[in-house]
Amino acid sequence: MKLESLKPHFPWITLVVLVLIVGLINPSFFDPSSLILLVADIVPLFIMAMGMTFVIYIGGIDLSVQQLANVVTVVATVYLANFGVGVALIAIVIGAAFGAVSGYVTTRLFVPSFVSTLAMGFVALSMAKWLSGQRALAMDATMRNDSFGWMFGSTAGIPNELMIAGVLLTIAWFLQARTTFGRALKAVGAGELAAVASGLNVDRVKIIAFAISGVFAAIAGLMFSVKLSGGDANLANGFLLLAIVAVLVGGTPLTGGVGGVVNTAIGTLIVMVIRAAMVYLEVDATQQQMVFGIVLIAAIALTIDRSKLRGVVK
Amino acid sequence: MYELQQVDKHFPGVHALKAIDFKIGRGEIVGLVGENGAGKSTLMKVIYGAYQPDGGTIAVDGKAVRFHNPRQAMDYGIGMVFQEQSLITNLTVAENIFLGFEQQFVKWGVINWKEMTAAARAQLAKVKLDIDPSMITAKLSFAQRQLVELAKVLTLEERVDGDLVILLDEPTSVLAREEVELLFQLVRDLTSRASFIFVSHRMDEVLELSDRIYVMKDGEVVDVVAQREAQVETIQHKMVGRDIDKEYYREQKQLDYERTDPLVSFNNVSRAGGFEDISFDLHPGEVLCLVGTEGSGREAILRTVFGMDAPTSGTVTIKGRQVTRFTAQNGVANGIGYVPRERKIEGIVNGMNVYENMTLSQMDKYASNGVLRIGEEKALARDWIAKLGIKTPSEFKDCAGLSGGNQQKVVLAKWRSGGSDIILLDHPTRGLDIGAKEDVYEMVRAMSADGVGIILVADTLEEAIGLSHSIIVLKDGQFQQRFEGMPGSKPTLFDLVHHMI
Repeated sequence: MKLESLKPHFPWITLVVLVLIVGLINPSFFDPSSLILLVADIVPLFIMAMGMTFVIYIGGIDLSVQQLANVVTVVATVYLANFGVGVALIAIVIGAAFGAVSGYVTTRLFVPSFVSTLAMGFVALSMAKWLSGQRALAMDATMRNDSFGWMFGSTAGIPNELMIAGVLLTIAWFLQARTTFGRALKAVGAGELAAVASGLNVDRVKIIAFAISGVFAAIAGLMFSVKLSGGDANLANGFLLLAIVAVLVGGTPLTGGVGGVVNTAIGTLIVMVIRAAMVYLEVDATQQQMVFGIVLIAAIALTIDRSKLRGVVK
Repeated sequence: MYELQQVDKHFPGVHALKAIDFKIGRGEIVGLVGENGAGKSTLMKVIYGAYQPDGGTIAVDGKAVRFHNPRQAMDYGIGMVFQEQSLITNLTVAENIFLGFEQQFVKWGVINWKEMTAAARAQLAKVKLDIDPSMITAKLSFAQRQLVELAKVLTLEERVDGDLVILLDEPTSVLAREEVELLFQLVRDLTSRASFIFVSHRMDEVLELSDRIYVMKDGEVVDVVAQREAQVETIQHKMVGRDIDKEYYREQKQLDYERTDPLVSFNNVSRAGGFEDISFDLHPGEVLCLVGTEGSGREAILRTVFGMDAPTSGTVTIKGRQVTRFTAQNGVANGIGYVPRERKIEGIVNGMNVYENMTLSQMDKYASNGVLRIGEEKALARDWIAKLGIKTPSEFKDCAGLSGGNQQKVVLAKWRSGGSDIILLDHPTRGLDIGAKEDVYEMVRAMSADGVGIILVADTLEEAIGLSHSIIVLKDGQFQQRFEGMPGSKPTLFDLVHHMI
């Protein structure tokens, strides 16, 4: 058994090992009801990471997701009174538009995705600040419950948040594994030049991938906003790093072509367990990003496909 | 002094070197010839330390050695003059000559440029090149750069105690005749300092310069000839290793084609930097071969037919309709299949399995409303695996793990199963072993018999002559000559070479 052939199994092995370690430190971790709450709590992050998976799968990155979620929290809070449930549609349109523009800039104007999405992120951030007047806004409690109360109830003991995550995961998985788009995505991620020479519309595939990432980030922002019953331009800060970590530790490397949304589900759980462990070990909240920064570097170094890196890494 | 004994090298699916015995004495010039894919470049890489053999021994002065990288080989006096030049063009000549070995000129952490320039001048004198070492390399001519490369390798003389072995990989391919003469004279003079291994596909040059010639074929040394006994014909015969008979290229299966409505027409088509004023027709069942040296415009024409490159002037007509949008998507939609030279990069997608690769260009045929009918894809793959005799455990096998010949079959199956009736083949047999090559020839004949029009850029001239109905010779992007090549009236090698160079 070679190390290389074990590589696809690293994520779930890591997850199991971490769960056992945390369980040893604190046996109350295994308490079902608190475990379910812990998982439900991480759903907005998971949705964001799932969208990001599509972009990383084609060898790009989307740094705009956190700011997109921020602007959506503001939009949702501001327009809830006017449109009710309709703000969900507005959020999705905003997400798709931002993502598609990032994709267009990346593919047609040849701006590397880390720059194009970073720039689009600042556009979103600025929009959020302008719309919110730099204040933390609150939702009207009745209207919130009327329109989106269903998001946070529970059915047969399972939080609805988890149901939503499950439905979105199923859709994303289907898209990735069973559709022509998903196959094209795989071809672009694993061998872009061969995809071009097979007559695929590679630019379109890439733009759609960025748009999907935008849509998922917007949904994440909406859920987060409803959950906290408000919106401001900094509400989702801290999500970006965790989302990237979730995708990479899940086993979708920055070089793309392997992994996928199911991997990201595992990756998000790993993030959750690490976070829980830090709580038990009484790591200060301000120090957590240090840990995740290091985890991110380790995850990239371990998962990246060096044979795909041509020339010098800059 | 330098010797290989029974050296073996394997790559996935290929036995690249088979028990090679090779030696070179002090001051000797040894030629190395063979067809593309015979194992010359693998052998060279083993010699200068880029590859490690997986069997046999390397001995320098009778002592067994093992090189883990080219730098270690250099410590034993083995240097390489690269065909694609390895000089960094925005550095000065002196910096290039001592690249990586600047330490000798460093005092207190600072390079003594004067000293380095003087040392560089001494190296340049060895190759009789009178230029200022502090010149930027980009300003040199190609021939001058070649000499700088040689001077760079000759710095080994000062660094290493033992004898030098210098590999020259196709050093003459871009030189003019008189430059070649100068280079040869220089190499002969330098035999007092080093031994040379000379690799070239120009047989006459190898014969002229080398004391002994190693002839390679299919990863083996099939003969070693001394210069005085060497004859071009016998060496060529041994390189090919068989009578290039009609059977090999399936000439008995070559049918005439219909001179009816052409599938592809080029009318005075030009592409800046690629080719100029090219016209031809490709008919159903015709195999049209583009012949020329590297950079003569062959590949550029293929890419323009496919639609990956747009022409700058002239009209391209495919199946009676003028092409206005030049994209690969359009090409595929017009029934064109492209089998690229870079099989592992543009041909197959590494990381996707056999059926995913086969349907990549035609996914819409295996999908309803964007949802794939994977069962049908698998059935198609099984069908074509059987039809073309693709050696794979199943349709689920990652194509990266298949041998070159089987990867090529997957690429061909992709286009043929999609109903492409114009097939562009760019070096379809490159790097394949004999059996796999014959399979490709068989497929070319079968496609031709089905009325598929084929444009071929062949790996060797023999292949071009053997397979084609018509041959267009190109030089520097210009049309030179057209030959008709039905069995029995095929042009000879000489006819073609005459127009190529």
